[in-house]
Amino acid sequence: MKLYDQIFDVVKQFKKLFSPGPVTNADVSGSITAEIFIIVSLVLSAILLRHVNVLLAALVTLILAVVLISNIPLIPKFKKEQDDSLEKMLFYAIVTLAIIVVFMYWGGNLV
Amino acid sequence: MNELIPIMVIVPLMAALLISAFSKFNKATKIFAFVVAICLPIIPLASNYGLHYFGGYAPILDNVTNVMYHPAITYSFTFLQQIFIAIVGLLTFLVVFVYLTKYKKVSGPYLFLLFLGTAAVTAMILTDDIFHMFVFFEILALAQVGIVAASSIDYSYEMALKYMILGSIGSPIMLLGIGFLLALTGSVNVTDIATAVHNGLVDITSPVFLMSLALIFFGWLYASGLPPFHTIKSGVYSKAEPHGAALLQSFTVISMISIVLIMFRIFSTLPIFEVLIVFFSILAMILGVSLALTQTDFRRMIGFLAVGELGFIGLGIGLGTTFSLTAGLFQALNEILITALLFIGFGAIVEATNEVDTRKLGGLLAYHPKVSIMLLIGGMAMAGVPPLNGFQSKLMLVQASLNCGYPELSILAIMVSIATFVVFVKTFYTMFLKPKPKDLELENKEVPRSMIFTMGVLLIIIILLGIFPDVVTTGISNFVGGIL
Repeated sequence: MKLYDQIFDVVKQFKKLFSPGPVTNADVSGSITAEIFIIVSLVLSAILLRHVNVLLAALVTLILAVVLISNIPLIPKFKKEQDDSLEKMLFYAIVTLAIIVVFMYWGGNLV
Repeated sequence: MNELIPIMVIVPLMAALLISAFSKFNKATKIFAFVVAICLPIIPLASNYGLHYFGGYAPILDNVTNVMYHPAITYSFTFLQQIFIAIVGLLTFLVVFVYLTKYKKVSGPYLFLLFLGTAAVTAMILTDDIFHMFVFFEILALAQVGIVAASSIDYSYEMALKYMILGSIGSPIMLLGIGFLLALTGSVNVTDIATAVHNGLVDITSPVFLMSLALIFFGWLYASGLPPFHTIKSGVYSKAEPHGAALLQSFTVISMISIVLIMFRIFSTLPIFEVLIVFFSILAMILGVSLALTQTDFRRMIGFLAVGELGFIGLGIGLGTTFSLTAGLFQALNEILITALLFIGFGAIVEATNEVDTRKLGGLLAYHPKVSIMLLIGGMAMAGVPPLNGFQSKLMLVQASLNCGYPELSILAIMVSIATFVVFVKTFYTMFLKPKPKDLELENKEVPRSMIFTMGVLLIIIILLGIFPDVVTTGISNFVGGIL
């Protein structure tokens, strides 16, 4: 029942996503599709870790699934983080650069 | 006729300069721009395959090591370059045609930017010199900023400025990576660098080599609009004029494949290179399509879809087999055509309605049936519906990932295609099928014929490539066989 309430609450929260302006059925169904798509695709991508270690893949997939489902709605959070704010764009660009450089410098010849 | 190889860059470059200098003569500028634009797709089709050494400095054979060195900036022209330059030339012609018919008084600087961008991407895909590629990459970035800033859409200046600021991070980082490669190998010629790497003259586990990959890779993410640059890329598309956005996305796709093919030749010995490409491609597909599903501005929606489609190209290249690379490059060609059709088609709707919010539109099928049908087919091509070209390349990508032992990637690719289809069904219903809102004014507003003609041309190519994919895939496959 708790999960049902949570899903119902998701639909209500989509109202904020489209404000200002009316919220149509097509918009809400599109957002629910995006919500399901993002959970399924991220969990599916985690299964790729089986090429590194099967146990690791199973563990990460399970944890990711639980974390994603318990944090719905994800789309408003994703959308908020990916708006046109220059600060956020710069932040994510620099974080990505740092991750790539660190990953390559210490792990580049391990894979 | 290898003299035609540099002409492919010189013609749009000179045209850009001349148009900018003599733009006060409006009629002459229009005629000149139209004639040059017609020539752009013809030159690559008339040229023979081969190499061009600038300054006439032919390669030198070192008799001691038996290795060939390339002292000149070299342009390499094969089937792959031919098809991509011809397509971007055709698109430039169509875009210039739409622009010239739209405005009575044309803007010299705007035409200058369109031709400059075309010259830059042509040079990027032709060159075998990594520094030369970087110079044109910078020119292209400035042209892209200019095209967005010159459009008459609200906040276009702001978006262009943001793109330039992010470029001020991406470009120097890439240049630093190129500098590291130069320090390691003493050359900026890609063939020479690749030979040194593959012959064991460079220690591929050295931190400098790994760092050069990391830095050039980051620059490539900026050029391609893959995450974390997907937001700005989609924003840039949505703030450009529709015909400008159609050309901008083709610039992005060609710069993406130009840089990644150079990286592939140099770094493919490192397995982590392919892991990185696949990782960012998956991220682009997931973020691009999921954000497209939540958009109410249809220009932004196409922008996010275009970014998501880039993930398919990256996926094909990241898998690293002949078949997957062929599929990825074929997908790149298809994306240029399909996304251009969609940008121009949705741009036609903006022309007719002055509205970009899907919630305020409706009933347009009755008013603009030709545009509606062509957009529907374009959307189906992007979603991968048979027998259109998007279906052929996506099917190849699904098969390629299955052959490589990654069924998860095949499932993901199919899921992304389904989600893309959902985006189009939703948008098509909202804009064209649902009843027209009462406050929407549509009377006496026609879609320009030049836009319908442009969409028709692109649609014919999309359908032909869907029915006869071998016309392109055989040549691309031969090219890929040569670099692997």
